[in-house]
Amino acid sequence: MARTSHRERRLLRILSIPMFLLALTCVYPIFFSVNNALKTNRNYILDRFGVVSDFTFDNFVQAWTRSNLDSYFWNSVIVTVGAVALLLLVSSLAGFALAVLRFPMRKLVFIVILASLMIPVQVVLVPFYQTIIGLGLLNTRIGLILSYTAFFLPFSVYLMTAFYAGLPRELVEAARIDGARLLQVWWTIMLPLGKPALITLGILNTLYCWNDVLISLLVLQDERTLMVGIAALRGEYTTNVPLLSAGIVLAAAPIVILYVVFQRRIVNGIAVGAVKG
Amino acid sequence: MQPNDQYYTLLGTALSSGQGPDLFLLNGGAQARARMDALTDVTASADGLVGLAEFESPEGAVMALPITIQGFVVYYNKARYEEAGLDPDAPPQTWEELVSVCEAITAAGEVPCFSLGNKEGFAAEFFLSAIAASTLTDEQHSAFAAGDLAWSSPEISEILSLWVETNDMGWYPRGANSTAKFMDEYEQFMRGDAANTIGLLSDVAHWKQFEDFLGAEGLGVYRHPAPDMVSDHPMMPVAGGIGYGVNAASAKADLALELAQTLAAAGPIQTFVNDAGVVPANTMVDTSGLSSPAAGTILGWLDGSSAQMAHANVTAEELAEWHRQSQLLLNGETTVADAAARMDEVQAAAHGG
Repeated sequence: MARTSHRERRLLRILSIPMFLLALTCVYPIFFSVNNALKTNRNYILDRFGVVSDFTFDNFVQAWTRSNLDSYFWNSVIVTVGAVALLLLVSSLAGFALAVLRFPMRKLVFIVILASLMIPVQVVLVPFYQTIIGLGLLNTRIGLILSYTAFFLPFSVYLMTAFYAGLPRELVEAARIDGARLLQVWWTIMLPLGKPALITLGILNTLYCWNDVLISLLVLQDERTLMVGIAALRGEYTTNVPLLSAGIVLAAAPIVILYVVFQRRIVNGIAVGAVKG
Repeated sequence: MQPNDQYYTLLGTALSSGQGPDLFLLNGGAQARARMDALTDVTASADGLVGLAEFESPEGAVMALPITIQGFVVYYNKARYEEAGLDPDAPPQTWEELVSVCEAITAAGEVPCFSLGNKEGFAAEFFLSAIAASTLTDEQHSAFAAGDLAWSSPEISEILSLWVETNDMGWYPRGANSTAKFMDEYEQFMRGDAANTIGLLSDVAHWKQFEDFLGAEGLGVYRHPAPDMVSDHPMMPVAGGIGYGVNAASAKADLALELAQTLAAAGPIQTFVNDAGVVPANTMVDTSGLSSPAAGTILGWLDGSSAQMAHANVTAEELAEWHRQSQLLLNGETTVADAAARMDEVQAAAHGG
């Protein structure tokens, strides 16, 4: 027993080396960004990889105010919250219908939704842009919310359909026998049971929407989202790396804070979603 | 605000769908030539401006009003010259002097003679223009631009040979092909980790930026010498930098033109010159207040010591291939003869041959 324990400890020690290196590759970019965000541009150029000694918060102030990241931040919050809420609502309803209800061409509808997953965003950019102009949604937040919903819906519907299909049909049948209407079944049974998958979906879609540049760049041209604002901090020939680093830290902070606050739920959600999905 | 790497993509999409801005900024040369159809003729508003060639249509009409002049000179770190036992106030004027300077700096062993970033092939562009400015006549420049002077001609292949020879003489740091010119090469120079660099006149990587790190008195400037120069002194390659163009489809073209004229006028450009450090395209701008010795020297070369910018005259296809061949040459993966032959093929195809 003691011998096995010793071997296990040795194995753990050996395994800890690559795990430590792997962790380092995740932690170092964060350290690099924070470290450089606290340097002046001059100090960065003179010593790019050194630890900051004479730190300044000017880059954060400049990124937040002069580079308009403050207004871009609120644009990102509004469109991300709006799009994720809409995505969860629609994908949950669609997933419920496709997994539980029986109607003509149900499988065909599901296959069409799956097929749209295979089309890269770049391929449909021109017709998409013309549609946005035609609908009068250019430079509107609602236009971007609907765009995100359209582009990220196929995967969301697929995930929710797969999750709901794994639940016992008897639950729905029992509720129907008790006189519940379809929307009541969805609201009182499927939605609470689908919470783990919805949390997973919420996390993924939040990351997609928050980090998107391309769709936002096309739809919201007058005002910007945070990631487009940060992309604009890169110059054609020169980049103020400390300023860019400060922007990156500011953009990553809400996601990191969300993760820290909801860590347990997120981990559980991902685990359940992975098994069921 | 637009992310720079998406600027021309978005501008092109907008212009082709009739949604473009009334007035837009664009680079001279290839970027301007690619958008001639979308621009209004602004020749009548171009009085007092220089650097117009980069914004001219094939018929000779001015299609955008330049606000800056762009060009190449060699900036040097006077402290590094002193350490190598050189006179910091006597920069090289001939090819032989430049070779001696680099030998002394290399022998001192502290830093490479030139910083060099050729990851995207930009260093080779700069080198081509810097040498060609002094070795080609105006007629040869025009012939090279028209595709009549081949890359394998003695005049141009000599430049390719110099690119290889300077590398063989140890002028450059190792790994130049994986170093970005903007801004790794220039940051190396600003840190004092190289003695010389071929830099710009305006916008970035120029006298003002370098003086911030090396000090006005610590920075020197000279025109890149070459063997067998056509003049008794080296020449400085110059061209139009950036300029404002009016959208031909604009419903408010007159208003847009008025704004372009205002932006290119002496007053606003004066501020640009003082704060950002550019060489103005407007000859009415008062540059006498510039305290920078390097800027003063450069301004003195604009009359009589400037030549065409060879790399800006060639086709985009030739430029892209030169980027590739220059890297192969630095790596020793091709010969000058083979590289020149390949460039000839691309040149002929680009000119419809």
